[in-house]
Amino acid sequence: MKMLLKIADLSFSYQSSKILDDVTLEVKSGESLGVMGPNGSGKTTLLRCISNVLSPRGTVLINGKDTKGQSKKEIAKKIGFVPQTSNIDFEFTVSELVLMGRTPHMGRFKSESIHDFEIVEKAMKLTNIQHLSERTFDELSGGEKQRVIIARALAQEPKILLLDEPTVHLDISCQLEILNLVKNLCEQERIIVISVFHDLNLASQYSDKLILLNRGRIFSEGFPDRVLTSENIRSIYQIEAIIKRHPITNVPFVIPFLYAKNDKKMKGPTVHVICGGGSGTPAMKLLLDNGLKVTCGVLDVLDSDFEAARNFKIPVIGEIPFSQITNESNKANIDLIKKADFVIITDFPVGPGNLKNIEAAEVALDFKIPVIIIESSPVYQRDFTQKNLEEYFKRLKEKGAIFVENLESALKEVLI
Amino acid sequence: MKTNFEKKYLKWNFIFIGLLMTLFFTLIITITIGSVGPIGSGNPERIPMQAVWDILIGKSRLWPDSYKTIIMDIRLPRILLAALAGCALAVSGVVMQGIFRNPMADPFIIGLSSGAAVGASISILLGLSISIGIYSTPFLAFVGAGLTIFGVYFIARSRGKVRAETLLLTGIAIGSFLTAVTSFLMYVANEQFRFLFFWLLGGLYKASWNTVAIAFSLILLGVVIIQFFARDLNAMVLGEEPAMHLGIDTKSMKKILLIFSSLVTGTAVAFTGIIGFVGLITPHIMRILVGPNHRILLPASALTGAILLIWSDTIARTILSPTEIPVGIITAFCGAPFFVYLLQKSKKGKR
Repeated sequence: MKMLLKIADLSFSYQSSKILDDVTLEVKSGESLGVMGPNGSGKTTLLRCISNVLSPRGTVLINGKDTKGQSKKEIAKKIGFVPQTSNIDFEFTVSELVLMGRTPHMGRFKSESIHDFEIVEKAMKLTNIQHLSERTFDELSGGEKQRVIIARALAQEPKILLLDEPTVHLDISCQLEILNLVKNLCEQERIIVISVFHDLNLASQYSDKLILLNRGRIFSEGFPDRVLTSENIRSIYQIEAIIKRHPITNVPFVIPFLYAKNDKKMKGPTVHVICGGGSGTPAMKLLLDNGLKVTCGVLDVLDSDFEAARNFKIPVIGEIPFSQITNESNKANIDLIKKADFVIITDFPVGPGNLKNIEAAEVALDFKIPVIIIESSPVYQRDFTQKNLEEYFKRLKEKGAIFVENLESALKEVLI
Repeated sequence: MKTNFEKKYLKWNFIFIGLLMTLFFTLIITITIGSVGPIGSGNPERIPMQAVWDILIGKSRLWPDSYKTIIMDIRLPRILLAALAGCALAVSGVVMQGIFRNPMADPFIIGLSSGAAVGASISILLGLSISIGIYSTPFLAFVGAGLTIFGVYFIARSRGKVRAETLLLTGIAIGSFLTAVTSFLMYVANEQFRFLFFWLLGGLYKASWNTVAIAFSLILLGVVIIQFFARDLNAMVLGEEPAMHLGIDTKSMKKILLIFSSLVTGTAVAFTGIIGFVGLITPHIMRILVGPNHRILLPASALTGAILLIWSDTIARTILSPTEIPVGIITAFCGAPFFVYLLQKSKKGKR
């Protein structure tokens, strides 16, 4: 059966502070929605408003029917809720707990029917907890407990399953197990799943669509590609992030980081980094951390250093993949070098395509701009020029280039 | 799955029938225990089982009239009242522990009994049961209990939530306050001081067929209604919000349960004074014996509470015979050490 959850203009205030502000969204059956946002952004409140535990302004429509006029019992037949953790002081058995999920379907004066037991059995089968049936809840591991709670929610035969950071207290294998389980339920049973996530990558991997909440408002929504951008993450979480693709699932993969010194006004000298093959990324990061201005070039646009430079939002000269550096690019690069106070050459492999970068460093020396060469491995090992790269480096040395062993020493040269 | 539960339910039925039979035998046995007293001098200390049986089934002609008086007018009402009060306190204890999700809750600790005591004291002091009617004492006790429990609940509530510790502390504070009120009433009571004093210590000597009839109607009503909320109480074990997610209107459910536990506790207190520990301990014993499911826990606790209080009262009226001591002393005297024992045992079990 097709199901549609429609939420319109949902607002909730606690005393005078607004916790949810005009949230509007739509989820179809078989679809999973991930809810993300910093602490206090209203994620859990959103779930509690949908489940009608709180009474918000605005409407929650399940298949066009407003939940406001419905009894708690009616709503519980449609919405199941899985909290972060569950504490049960008394020693109920697993099967008794799952049977409690039938509560909204049973009359006060009636006992369970065969149908109720069948549903309980199915729920336990789906969550793979049949073997735990007669164990008591507090004997179980964290992952098992959470599966029991999910089974209980499933026994309600919900059309909508709300999960509030269901895996936050579990180890990584349990996390994936639970999230896989929920994803399968969503696809096979065609239920709507709305989960709150703190972990952006789990959200990306296990949700069809995402919303990013900030101060009770939807800041961004849509497919993971659209929501998980470094711009969004920076403005919501005030951290930097590099967005890659998950090598197996191909969903956006977030690598968050933070500059060590949070001095946004970079007043120090400018350093131009000549790099490639990923060798430049740590250099750029370290220089930026130390409050320096960084430029970069020339780089193949497929090079990870290029992507990093773009993510760091520093000036970078890019070149078409697998081709020689063109004269225009070279000129642009030299222009950047002339504006710089230092040039750092990392120990990257040099071939005919990027040899011009080494020649550009010579120009820097001609303009009395200090050149620092990081040489943690011998030059001949990364010489693919079919000329003698060592000759180039010798010439640079004669013109006054400084050779250092590692990145930290290079930084010291700059900071002196 | 179904067979598993069928087995469980069958086991519950056996437990229930077993306890019912234990209660019945308790009744028959304890009715024979006790001094016959000055009524029939020279008679043996005990009334023989045969006599009890004959009198109960109406063949009293075979035995002395004094036996009939002792059994039908003194012992039987007293034992029945003990059973009813024990049942009321135990059920009330289960409800308190269930809705407040705290194993330390009971009608006494939460202040309910003290509230009932104030209501009943006022009725006794003003002689309302004579001037207005026999229901006035249980009614005022019920009002006192109800006002107290809702008072405690609303005072303990902050930001729409009731933390269990706050609730217990509030209950203890209000309970002490109300005890002070009762003490004050006792102090100004003068000629009724002795009466109130003994009543507050807890005792069943006021039993009569009248009190049994009232207690029976009110307590049975409360206990039966509470039983229909067994499933809701089960769900409450998970917490208030999870219970709401199972479709339970926790607000109204709590109100209903508090009203009816006030009713049963109020009735019990009105006729027997303050008897501690039955409401606290019985649910714990039964949770160990039959498990936490309220569908069996409630009836099992009701029956066990009855059995425990009958035996406690039997001890109270015989141990220092011919004088009797207040039953509250016995329940506290036996209950407290037993509770400590349970606590130790469950701590070891957890490890």
